[in-house]
Amino acid sequence: MIDLPKTGPPPGLASAAAELEALLGWLIRLRWVAVVGVACFFEVARRVFPVTLALAPLYGTLVALAACNALWMTVLRRLEQPHGEGTARWVRALGRLVAPPVLEQAGADRATRDAALFANLQIAVDLVLLAALLHFAGGIENPFIVFFVFHVIIAAMLLSRLATYVHATLGLLLVSAVAFAEVSGVLRHWPLGGTWGPEGYRDVPLVSAQLFVLGAMLYLSAYMGTTIAGRMRRREHDNIVLSHELANKAEILERICNRLEESEEARSRYIRKVAHELRGPLGTIQTALKVVLSDILPPSARDMVGRAERRSGELAQVTQDLLALSRARDVAAEKALRAVPIAALVRELVEEQRPVATRADVTLELETSEPAREFRADPQGVEQLVRNLVANAIRYTPRGGRVTVRLAEVPAGVRLEVADTGIGIPEEALPHLFEEFYRADNARELAPDGSGLGLAIVEAVAGQHGGYVTVASELGRGTTFIVELPLEPVA
Amino acid sequence: MTAAGKILVVDDDRDLVAAIKLVLEQRGFAVVGAFDAKSGLALAEAERPDLILLDVMMPSATEGFHFVWELRRRPDPYFVEVPVIIVSAIHGQTELRFYPDASDGTYKSGEFLPVQGFIDKPLDPEELIARVTRELELARRR
Repeated sequence: MIDLPKTGPPPGLASAAAELEALLGWLIRLRWVAVVGVACFFEVARRVFPVTLALAPLYGTLVALAACNALWMTVLRRLEQPHGEGTARWVRALGRLVAPPVLEQAGADRATRDAALFANLQIAVDLVLLAALLHFAGGIENPFIVFFVFHVIIAAMLLSRLATYVHATLGLLLVSAVAFAEVSGVLRHWPLGGTWGPEGYRDVPLVSAQLFVLGAMLYLSAYMGTTIAGRMRRREHDNIVLSHELANKAEILERICNRLEESEEARSRYIRKVAHELRGPLGTIQTALKVVLSDILPPSARDMVGRAERRSGELAQVTQDLLALSRARDVAAEKALRAVPIAALVRELVEEQRPVATRADVTLELETSEPAREFRADPQGVEQLVRNLVANAIRYTPRGGRVTVRLAEVPAGVRLEVADTGIGIPEEALPHLFEEFYRADNARELAPDGSGLGLAIVEAVAGQHGGYVTVASELGRGTTFIVELPLEPVA
Repeated sequence: MTAAGKILVVDDDRDLVAAIKLVLEQRGFAVVGAFDAKSGLALAEAERPDLILLDVMMPSATEGFHFVWELRRRPDPYFVEVPVIIVSAIHGQTELRFYPDASDGTYKSGEFLPVQGFIDKPLDPEELIARVTRELELARRR
């Protein structure tokens, strides 16, 4: 069984609080710009436009806005600290006063709730201060009445749909309260002296129309803002969930890979053990048969014992090759790397095969570039690789043929080429050539015995050294094996 | 008739010991067999053979190596000089190389075992006899 990773909240969602805090930071910076911008505007407007501004209360309100912003900055800094418990509590208490129903978002974690509370509080205070600014600059007359829209948009981006509508309503109520307080004389009217005329603010139908337009704008903005933000949030959420799922899948795949690797290793170990166990008794059987054969025997008995001896030899070769193969595939064999005089080793192995070649009437040549250097390699593995390739080439080359072994140093390491003028490999056999126990039909025909493991060993040894084997062959013309091993020269 | 020489065979494979015994006895050698290092050492002391054929892969993996080191440590010069031939398939599988002398410094420690040489398994009877005869010859000349 594959252990599945525990499914928790997607990592992207867990940091919703952090994202909200980042947006709050942006809002605070924006507010500083607004404070400076509004002050500049006052200075320009009273000089350029035909308006009268009550500068004292206006600047007073701006200072209050700046003071609040400074406070928000402090609070945000405390919120961003992982254990800002004390601050969070009083922020929560303040927030509850402003917009209690919005605050308990189901499923949101505490940090997210705290940040949302804080955002609600800020926007609410902004709305009140904006209403105050408006009141001191002509109230309902002021064209900047539309600025309430910005807060609704900000609320739509930062907060829930409900909170956005609550803020839109709060803005409309505040402006309405100011307007009607001025109509009824509860609040003093600070005339702006614009297009409305001196008594415009008392014109109830006009004021109502203005408020209606404002309300329509606010609610439409709330609707559009929350719809777009909602879609974006959903998409983002989907993306996060998707990427989380992908990460999970990748982890599962990795585990499966590891498991496969482990089972491959276990298989290799098992084969090694079995081959090892078989080797002892097999050796003894062979020896016993050889002992009998060395005696004087009637011809029929000699023939039979001879057959048994040959077949036990084949079996011994299979176990030997299995051992070599599992050894080459065993990752631990990488630790067997040492300084190997490759050229000398190849020369030695070619000489070892020369009597075989001579018996088979095959010319065996070695071309190697001198001087020979030592390379870091697994000597046993390389020995197996070279011996198998050279012995194969001789075995599958008819009398009068030629086997050429070329060894060269290349920038990447060492390149060994074993070319013969032999029977060649059928095209359909090429993809299976390096499979265990695979033997091409024409190879079986020519040499019935053979474990079918030789080339698997060659490939495993090449792989063990990070190299590769390629083969080019033409049926009836010959075969060339090329092995490239990225070996490190020993200084 | 005096035996051509007395050979001690130490191998946990009783069948192999029997096969070697058959081959060597046919050629006039006297053969004693032991199936583990401990009784092998005891037999070596009691029988003082002219040559020892030793398998390294006895029950506890490297028992054969310890047999050699035990043997060579004894103060009696006989034990230092008696020729030992390793009979094993281990040669192809390990770094171990068996050489009579490490004094030329070519071999790293662990690669060398103070023996006269090795014969690969499976044994070829002719090769075995040739090898045993040659080592006995060399030992007699010393």
